[in-house]
Amino acid sequence: MPALLETRDLKKHYRMGESTVRALDGVSIAVGQGEFIGLLGPSGSGKSTLLNLIAGLDRATEGSLRVFGDDLAQMSSDALSRHRQRNVGIVFQSFNLVSTMSAAENVALSMMFAGVARPERDRRAHELLEAMGLGGRERHRPPELSGGEQQRVAIARALANRPHLLLADEPTGNLDSRTSAEIMALLTELNERDGKTIMMVTHDAGLAQRYARRTVTLLDGTVVVGSNA
Amino acid sequence: MTIGDTVHLALRNLNQAKLRTVLTVLGVSIGIASLAGMVSLGVGLQDQFVGRFMKSGMFDAITVMSPQDRPGIMAGGMRGLGAGPRGVARARLDDDALRKFGALRRVKEVYPNLRVPVELKYEQFTEPYSATGVPMSARNEGAFQTFAYGTFFNNESENACLLSLDLAKQINEHDPHDLVGKQVRLTWIASSTAAAGAPSVPDNPMQLQHAEARYTVVGIVERQPGPGGLPGAALSGLMIPLARARDISAVDAGSLQSLFREPAQGRSYGSVTVKVTGPQFTEDVENQIKEMGFMAFSLNDALTGAKRAFIILDIVLSLIGSIALAVSSLGIVNTMVMSILERTREIGIMKAIGGSDDDIRRIFLVEASVIGCMGGVAGVALGWLVGRVINFGANVYIQSQGGPTGNLFSLPLWLVAGAIGFAFVVSLIAGSYPASRAARLDPIQALRHD
Repeated sequence: MPALLETRDLKKHYRMGESTVRALDGVSIAVGQGEFIGLLGPSGSGKSTLLNLIAGLDRATEGSLRVFGDDLAQMSSDALSRHRQRNVGIVFQSFNLVSTMSAAENVALSMMFAGVARPERDRRAHELLEAMGLGGRERHRPPELSGGEQQRVAIARALANRPHLLLADEPTGNLDSRTSAEIMALLTELNERDGKTIMMVTHDAGLAQRYARRTVTLLDGTVVVGSNA
Repeated sequence: MTIGDTVHLALRNLNQAKLRTVLTVLGVSIGIASLAGMVSLGVGLQDQFVGRFMKSGMFDAITVMSPQDRPGIMAGGMRGLGAGPRGVARARLDDDALRKFGALRRVKEVYPNLRVPVELKYEQFTEPYSATGVPMSARNEGAFQTFAYGTFFNNESENACLLSLDLAKQINEHDPHDLVGKQVRLTWIASSTAAAGAPSVPDNPMQLQHAEARYTVVGIVERQPGPGGLPGAALSGLMIPLARARDISAVDAGSLQSLFREPAQGRSYGSVTVKVTGPQFTEDVENQIKEMGFMAFSLNDALTGAKRAFIILDIVLSLIGSIALAVSSLGIVNTMVMSILERTREIGIMKAIGGSDDDIRRIFLVEASVIGCMGGVAGVALGWLVGRVINFGANVYIQSQGGPTGNLFSLPLWLVAGAIGFAFVVSLIAGSYPASRAARLDPIQALRHD
């Protein structure tokens, strides 16, 4: 299977006053299409930083990061925004929905940036929300929805532009265990049935081992354990 | 992202913060109102000034004199003076020359400025006077726009005259209007060769005699008019149709003098007025006449100077008006910066799901320009309203002082479009800093923002 994503000696250093923080200090991983990877590690281990680099929200200090063979380090900021539109869909711990927009508008927003025409946007937003079990809730705004429902809206939004790679940063971190299980079941279904590649950051090793087919554990910016589930 | 979607998002954002949007629009509209109001005042004043002078008939008129007849009062201070090019034969201002002037492009009318010495008699009143020949085309122009009593001549050949109010009061101090319809007697010295019906003595053109005619007073004008295009020349309170003056002058003493000078040729005139179809053609026609070897001048140069002064006035007024607009443009900056602070997280979300820096910049620029355009439209309306109110008040005052009323504020279409366009440009400039600040936001930082 061709590598969807490959990092080589990826480094991300921040300056914090006098000292330099090595958030990522030489990470080399490869992710094939259709994988479900759990990124594990304690807070400050660099797992979220790695996810942000893959998402194209941040730029690496050193090393290469290739998605479908293209090096993100070489991309202009416009090209990076296209990468975020088409290649990846992001799901956050805190949902990150626009609170003044309805569920449908939130889903349609990412398609708006991708230049999808209005009728198609509306049709697909409806379809996705229906598939997420939110039929009839399209007009609700995020504050009127439960945490689980908000996260489903966020997942629908992440899928809107049909990306190959879903990036999830602690997707169940703000949810109770029952809702967490529902969301994880949904992600598993997306991976197994639709073949979406999923990278999920979590500090919950149990959760990662239960759902992910492979886990990568980071500590102080380096990969300490890589395993195949 | 399409333009339509950008505008849609921007309008949605403005709608989310209605109060702030309305207040900012109000601020811009006050700025635009003050700017548009000031310029509108400048334009209005200019229209009043220039319009009044245009109607006076002095700016589309050229006064032509033959070089040898250059009168002393014209010797200095008047622009446009000067004889024709050297080497040109001394041009005679005769009927032939008048025809040539009439054939020039843009020339509406040519007539001699005739002033004939007569004696004016009415009951006990007897006074030597200089009667000015007035062409029929002068109707409704200059001094003939308003009559104190009576009307303009009915036709060119009638024995009718107009008096200035001053002269009428000299004749009848208490009831000058009684003179309208009455007949006055004019007498002049005529040579026997030309005086109608007089016995002809060809070998002695010097034989002189008195001629007399009765003229009916048809109107009394308030202001004493200057002969068209000949400012500075002595004014006359007695006016007769040009054709009548022509008849009289054919035999007057001055004309006889010129006959002595160049006995072989026909009559010539001291000065001639050439009317052009519009003030903008004055200069061109004036130059052509000068090339023929005549002296010619017009008041258009003075008008050009006045227009230049109005441009300076407009600039000063608009600078004053711009101060308010500068303040309101800071209001736009303030509103947009506040909006970015409030929506930092939203900007982060937009970037995370694929919004490019340019998408974000455009959303904010459109928001700023929508504020600007709304402020521009509201500002022009406000400026117009304030102008009307001030105009009304000013006219009430002017009327109480007996002055002529008019529009002090003029709001032509170019000013409306210009003010709205300017509001748009100013808002784009004001919005560019906040917009690029929003575009540069680091999405990761923005997403952490509460």
